[in-house]
This record gives sequence, structure tokens and C-alpha cells, in this order.
Amino acid sequence: MSAVMDFLTVFSQPQLLLLVGLGTFAGVYVGAIPGLSVTMAVSILISFTFSWDVYPAISLMIGIYMGGVYGGSRTAILLNIPGAPSAIATALDGYPMALRGEAGEAIGVTTVMSFIGGFIGIGVLALFAPLISDFALTFQPRDYMLLAILGILLVGSLSQGSLVKGIFAGALGIAIGAVGRDPLTFAERFTFDFQILEGGISFIAVMIGMFGVSEALAQLHHVDKDAVRQKISRIVPSLSTVKKHLPLSLQTSSIGVVIGALPGTGGDIAALMAYDHAKRVTKSPEREFGDGAMEGLVAPETANNAAVGGAFIPMMTLGIPGDAVTAIMIGALFIHGLNPGPMLMIDQPDMFWFIVGALVTANCFMLLFGLTGIKLFTRIVEMPRAVLIPLIMLLSIVGAYAVNNSISDVYWMLGFGVFGYFMRHYGYPLGPVILGVILSRLLDDNWRRAIISEREDLGRFFHGIVTSPLSLVLFAAVILIFVSQTPLWSEGKARVFGRKGEQQ
Amino acid sequence: MKRAIWGALGALALSATAAVAEYPEKEIQGIIQWGAGGSTDTVMRSVTPHAEEVLGGSVVMQNMTGAVGAIALNHVAGASADGYTLLMGAENPMLYKIMGLGDKDYGEFIPINILARGTPILVANKDAPFDDYAGMMEHIKANPGEVRFGATGPGGLPSVITAMINTVEGELDVIAVPYDGDGPALTALQGGAIDVMPAVLGAAIEGIRAGNMKPLAVFDVAANDKLPGVPAVTEFNDGYSTYLPWGPFFGVFAPKGTPDDVVAKLSDAFAAGVEHPDFVALMENRGFTLMGIAGDEAEEFLSKWQQGTAWLLQDAGLTKASPEEFGIARPGE
Amino acid sequence: MQHIDPEHHDGTSDATPGGASDQRRPGELVFAGLMLAVSLGLFWSAYGISGFEALSAPGSVPMATTVVMVLASLLVLLKTAKLPLDRSETLARDILPPAVVLFSLALAIYGILLKPLGFLPTSALFLILAIKFLARRGWVWTLTVSLGSLIVIWLIFRIVFSVLMPAGILPEAEFIQFFRDLFRAEGAQ
Repeated sequence: MSAVMDFLTVFSQPQLLLLVGLGTFAGVYVGAIPGLSVTMAVSILISFTFSWDVYPAISLMIGIYMGGVYGGSRTAILLNIPGAPSAIATALDGYPMALRGEAGEAIGVTTVMSFIGGFIGIGVLALFAPLISDFALTFQPRDYMLLAILGILLVGSLSQGSLVKGIFAGALGIAIGAVGRDPLTFAERFTFDFQILEGGISFIAVMIGMFGVSEALAQLHHVDKDAVRQKISRIVPSLSTVKKHLPLSLQTSSIGVVIGALPGTGGDIAALMAYDHAKRVTKSPEREFGDGAMEGLVAPETANNAAVGGAFIPMMTLGIPGDAVTAIMIGALFIHGLNPGPMLMIDQPDMFWFIVGALVTANCFMLLFGLTGIKLFTRIVEMPRAVLIPLIMLLSIVGAYAVNNSISDVYWMLGFGVFGYFMRHYGYPLGPVILGVILSRLLDDNWRRAIISEREDLGRFFHGIVTSPLSLVLFAAVILIFVSQTPLWSEGKARVFGRKGEQQ
Repeated sequence: MKRAIWGALGALALSATAAVAEYPEKEIQGIIQWGAGGSTDTVMRSVTPHAEEVLGGSVVMQNMTGAVGAIALNHVAGASADGYTLLMGAENPMLYKIMGLGDKDYGEFIPINILARGTPILVANKDAPFDDYAGMMEHIKANPGEVRFGATGPGGLPSVITAMINTVEGELDVIAVPYDGDGPALTALQGGAIDVMPAVLGAAIEGIRAGNMKPLAVFDVAANDKLPGVPAVTEFNDGYSTYLPWGPFFGVFAPKGTPDDVVAKLSDAFAAGVEHPDFVALMENRGFTLMGIAGDEAEEFLSKWQQGTAWLLQDAGLTKASPEEFGIARPGE
Repeated sequence: MQHIDPEHHDGTSDATPGGASDQRRPGELVFAGLMLAVSLGLFWSAYGISGFEALSAPGSVPMATTVVMVLASLLVLLKTAKLPLDRSETLARDILPPAVVLFSLALAIYGILLKPLGFLPTSALFLILAIKFLARRGWVWTLTVSLGSLIVIWLIFRIVFSVLMPAGILPEAEFIQFFRDLFRAEGAQ
């Protein structure tokens, strides 16, 4: 019974309720501004809430986290500039909708779907946390490696137009991710003996440059064109719309929870994988993907919000962070005199139920703040481009600097901005570059761990894959997806089913 | 309000003429060498607010990661030595030179305070077929090349402990699987991806208490009162007492050339911060040993630490350059 | 699915990147060649990391990816070379109009000035010039809009998130400390 009381702590104390609300509200804006990240906000809150009690401090942080993960979608839809890496996939179909004047509808669907995804994530956290964390622990280096390969195969669905250009972009991303001192051996890679390159290139800087600055440069082509007028009459999606996408959102939320619960992977990868999944299972979308398909919004947004609940699973059950934000929260719990670890759930179950309660509250606030104030937000896109473009550039600069307080990140950001501008013009997709950077370390580090563990023996390595059920399933998925992207497959499929396959 | 504006303008004019005012007359930047959520980050963020109270100024803490902390170190070393830029770091920079990671170490800095020191511990997966240090050594001898040790790159704590074991016990035939920090490595240990991990006590203590990992031996000259019943490694082999006690540490540093009165003020502030009951409780809970030393005592600690560790790694053949090249004397010489 | 929306030929949407599928845009061949050169350079650099030392060497994944880059960029180059040039477009009008060149330069100059001059003066200069150039409106309007938005950005990043942008010539920190002392003094009274 006490679990219910702890769960209701937030609702029974107006002060906590207020803090969660405040946090969520701030989080939406933190998430929406590229360069202001939830990670940053939460680590500043550690100092800010230092002298507070633990409940209010955690309430505020959870609010920011929930709101921030959702907020990234705002600028992705309105400006084609994802506010956070987990919103990259959202831009793919969200922005085309805004170009048609349907930004209001897109934001409405995104909000409701984030809410649903958030709830599923929290539900899994509350009911199956120990189960999922045991499962997450069974992932060996080779499984992480296979997961990374699975992620890299998403290049296929992220590159409309030319697949070869997409593959080039993805490989470039992996190379960018490898720049700097290798974290495992400290060998210098792609540094060309420049000290400035030793720290590597922050992937947030690459993202801001490629999406922010290059977008602003591209917009210079039609400064004088009037902005698209946004219809904001239909914001709350109809029940039938929600119902229609419910099966998909359940699937993509599960992807989100599991990827979120794995230490080392988070909402960004989850959202991209969910987008790919949606593209595979949606047989006949009302609109093509990349053209403003509703499914293209539903999938990443449910997944990244479900990943929040997922990230708390290893944190609460084992004291292992599920992502960067939960890592800082573990630090916050330390500072407030708790001992986050496997004993926390046994010694202080109240903390667990309190956090679940706070997450539920934050999720509700997210729905509330998400569906209100859209008018104000859509005004941003209706601002004259002459003001908007310079402001986007300035925000990109500050944002890139803020990631790691480093000027060299600003230079990289600007460089990739100009480079991305050319890539756009010559038909190279940008998504795979970011995908490559995100997955670079996951792939590289775990490949090396896996092969070192097997004493550099490929035979033993494959033996390991074949004898572990988890690895075998992942390996089969890799093969299947890879084959399904080759032209041979669509030909075969066409012959069998007598119609043209859906592959590109 | 009018007065405030004039005052602000006045302040601008004043600082432009660089009138020597009471330190600190503006906020201090604290550059944390490691990422948010790491142990250095947690320690610094929990001691600094207490120091701020004594200091009467604010310290803005920023994480600057990359190149094993060398980026942050070079940044602070290059900042002006006015006490407004501080480095909040761990032990790694003392090994940069011999590891070929950079040409600077804490020799370029004045230690404001060495806050605390950690104790290493050897932990194993809970299903490992051995229960203590002696059992592990037997198992490794019986199964050469099969036991997987976690590592965190050259110069990290696991590499030093492994070097110590190799020196004392003779070369071990094990696989070293690299991770980018002890957090991920301990996660992998619980998942069975590695069998044994040398880690700092604070990072492993909760997992041990929950029975998710097995403590093999504390790398100290005596057992730790946080983990009663776990023997010190010297009980198995007295050869370790030459190198122990050894452990990673956390410290706050200012660039060399910072005015003495500023250093004194900062040292007092952080000394008070270390003694704050909240901080003491936090550190004890995590199995850290409080130090709180400054001045000559800290300098001496640093150079002794560097000599011991550098030569240990040199003798184990793990260095890129000999400590001799940098004038690091062999301990006892 | 070859979907190129003629309306958004400039690549404003990432899902449907710009570029024509059956024609070569001006400069595309040069870009493709450049990419091949970069890929080759990176491959050489990746080889230099550790050579063919071991499967687990730090250079093995970079080498594999750069090989993919070389192959992909070679394919792209060959494909591009075969396409007919789009005669209706010119480099100066459709790819690099003067505004884009100007702004790229302005951003480069911004990067150079940021450290010595400091964040506030550099940004003020950039915003004022950029907005004046793009909007072509009066000075009062330009100054109000650009300085107003700069102050908002500064407040958010500097005060709320304590991101310490390079201060440069303005004694920013002293200024903030003054206000902080003022509040503290008032709070103490």
C-alpha cells in the first residue's frame, strides 16, 4: 500500500506539483533550442538545487527531462532544425507538413503521441523494471556491435534519392565519429597532428551545423518569399487518428523502451530505428514518407519519449545510467545522500515510486504545455526570414559552443554548416551523416571489445554469435534487413507476389 | 534603480582601470576535466557549494571533456593565472607525459586542495569460479588466456593495478578488454562480458553490497571498514606493500603564477568545503579517504604519487616514454 | 522511389534532398571529385593509424569505413560524370548566389573575431549587418530587433545556463558580479 502513497507523493504536495510543471515547461523550451540540451540543464540544476531536499530537486529534473525530450520536435517540425538529436527523424516528415501549412496538426499529433509513448515507457518501468534490466545486462559487446550495424542499415531508409550517396554520407559520419584520441587506446585518429583535433568533433556540433546553419544558408535563396501561413485550427488530433496509429505506436514504444534501457544507447537511436520500423510496416501511407507522412511523426516521437522510462530502468534497479541524463541524476542522488545502486529499490522503494509518480505527472504536464501555446510557436516560422536566418545562425553558434565550452566546436559547426549546404544541393542526404556519428563509437568500441574477448579469433567470434540466442536473433535481423535492401530482393518479391516491392 | 545603473557603469569603468579589489570580484570558472555524471563531476559539484560560502563568490562549473582530460588541462594552463580559472581534475594528468598524451601535468599548477583519495578493489562477476584473490590467481594459472580483465586504457586505474599484479606475481596471461570508464566496465562485469575488474571502491561498493559482484581483495595495506570481511591484498602477498597505499585522487588546481593571496583564499575555502559534514558523509559513504591537503604537503604527495606510478608503469613496459626523460626520479632515489 | 519535389529543388527538406536525379547540377562533378579526394586522403590517414596490425586495432574500423567512402564516392563520381549537365542552372544563381557567399564569409569572419573581440560585440555586429542587409529597413528597426534578440539570447545562455562565451573586450563577469552583489546586499538588509 505504501507504494501507492509514494506514487502519489507528487500529487499530494502542491510544491512538488509546481516544480514538475515548471520543469516540464522549461524543458520544452530547452529541448526546442538546438544547443541547449537536457543534459546541460540537469547538470546545472545539480548546483542550483544543492541545498534543497531530494524530492523537489528530482521533481524539477524529471520535468526538464520529460519536457526536453519532447521539445526537440518543435523546431524540427517548424524549422527543419532538430532541437535535440532524438528529433532528427521527426524533421523528416514534420517539416514537409509545416511546408504545407500543417504545422499545428503536426505538433498536435507529436504531442499526443509523445504522451502515449511516455506512458508506455513509464508503465514498463513501473511493472517490469527488474525483468528489463536483467535483459539489458545480457547484451554482450558483440550484441551491441550487431545493434550498431542494424542501426547503420537505417541509411537505406534515411536516404531518399540516391542510396550510394546515402552510404557515402553514413560512412563519412562514422569517420567523423572516430576523429580524436581513441578512448580505448588513446591512439590519435584522423587528427593530422593538430592538437585542436585531439578532443574529437562533438556530434552535437556536427548536427547543429548540418541542420541549423546549412538550413539557414539554403533559406537565403528565398528571403523575400512569404512564409507559409500556418493553419492552427486543428491542433488536437481526432480520436480516429489516434486509434489508427495506436498499433504502430505500441510497436515503436517497445523499441523505445528497450533501446532506452540499454546502457550506451538512448532516445536518438531509438527514434531513428522506430522511423525505419514504421517505414517497413506501413503498407500504404496516406502520404509518402518524407513527404509528410503521419506515421513518420508517430514512430520517432513515441519511441524517444518511451526511451525516457526505459533509461530509468537500469538506473533504478542497478544504479547503471541508461543515458547521459540519468547518469547525472545518479550523481544528484549521491549528492543528496542517497546511494543509487541495486540496493536502492530494496532499501528505499519510496524513491522508486516517487520517481514513477513524478514521471507520470511530467508526462501529463507535457501534454498540457504541448497542446497550448502552439500559436506562439508557429509565429516563429511566420517571422520575416530576414530576421529568422541571422538568428538561427547566431543560436547555432552559441549552441555549438555550449556543448563543451569549446571554440573549436564552433569552427566545426560552421564548417559542417557550409559543407552540409553543398550536400543538400547535390542530393546527399544529411540524416545518414548524423546516424554515422551517433553509431560510430557504439560500433567501433564494441567490435574491438568483442574481438579482443575472443582473442582476435574470427572463428570463435562467429561461434559466439551462433551459440547465443540473443546474438543469433540480432544477426538474423541484420542479414534480413541487408538482403531486403538489395535490388535482388525486390525483384524476387515482385516475381513472387506479382507486384512491385516497396523497396526503393 | 538609477543608482544601480550608475553603479554598474562605475563598475565597468573601475574594472577597466583594473583596480585591485578584493578577490573574488567576479565569478570563478571551474573547469571539470570529466563529463557530467562521472565521479570527478559528482565530487566537485558537491564540494564547491560549501567552498563558495566561505569564498563569498560564485564558482561556475563547466565540463570540458576530451583526450582523457588533456583538453581541459591545456585550457586552464593557457588561461591567465588570476585565480578566475580553476582546474577540477583527477589523477590522470600526472601520467600524460609518459603516456605521450601531452607535455603538461600538474607541475604547471598550484594545488589548491587535494580533496580525497580512492581505494582500488578487485571485483569479479558473481558467477566467477573463484571467491578470493588466491582463488583467482590459481584459476588464471589453470586457464591461461581465458580470464577477461576490464581495462580503461593506458594509465587508467585498471592498468596500474594490473601492472602492480604483473610486477608482484609475474606476468599474468589474461585478456584485457578496454572500456571507456569504470562505470561501463562494471556494467559489463555484471553482464558477464568481463570476469574481473580493478575498480575504485566507491564505484563498486553498491554492487558488492547487493551481491551483484564479488569482492576479491582490497588494494590497500589493511581491510576497509566500509567492506568488512574483504581482505587486503597484502594478506595474500606481502609484495604489494611496496606499492600501497595507492589510489586515484581528486583535486582543485590553479595555474602557476596565481598570486599567493588568491591561492591562500581559495585553499582556505576548499579546505573548509572538505570539512563540511555533508561532504564528509558523502565521501565516507562512497569509500573515499578524505585528504584535504594543500601547499607543500600536496606538492609532495603529487610528486611521490607520480614517481611511484610512473616507474611502476615503466617497469611493466606500458609507457610511451621513460619517466627519466621528464626528470621523474625513481622512488627512493 | 525517386521523389524529387520540383518546388523544393534546393534541398530545404532533408528527407527529399536537393539534386536532380537525371541531370548534373553545376559544380556537382567538382564536388563529387572532391569527395573522392577527401575519401582517399582519409583512407590514407586511417591506414596510418595502425596499418593491418590486428582486427582489434584502433585503425581497423576507420579503415573499413574509409574504404566504403572511397568506393561510394567513386561510384557517385562515375554516375555523375555520365549525367548531362543541367543547362538551365548556373553556379552563380542556383548554387552559390551572392547572399550565400556573403553569409559564409560573414560566418568565417565571425569565427575569427569571436575570441579576440568577445561574444557580445561580435554578435551585435553580425546581427546588425545581417538583418540590415537582408531586411533593408531603417536603422532604428534594425538596431532594435538585433540588439533586442541578442540580449534575450545572452540572458538565456549566460545568466540562466551560465555558458561562458568568450568575454573579449567587455568586462562581462565584473558587470554580472556587480549586480549579484547588489542583490545580495539588498537580500541581506
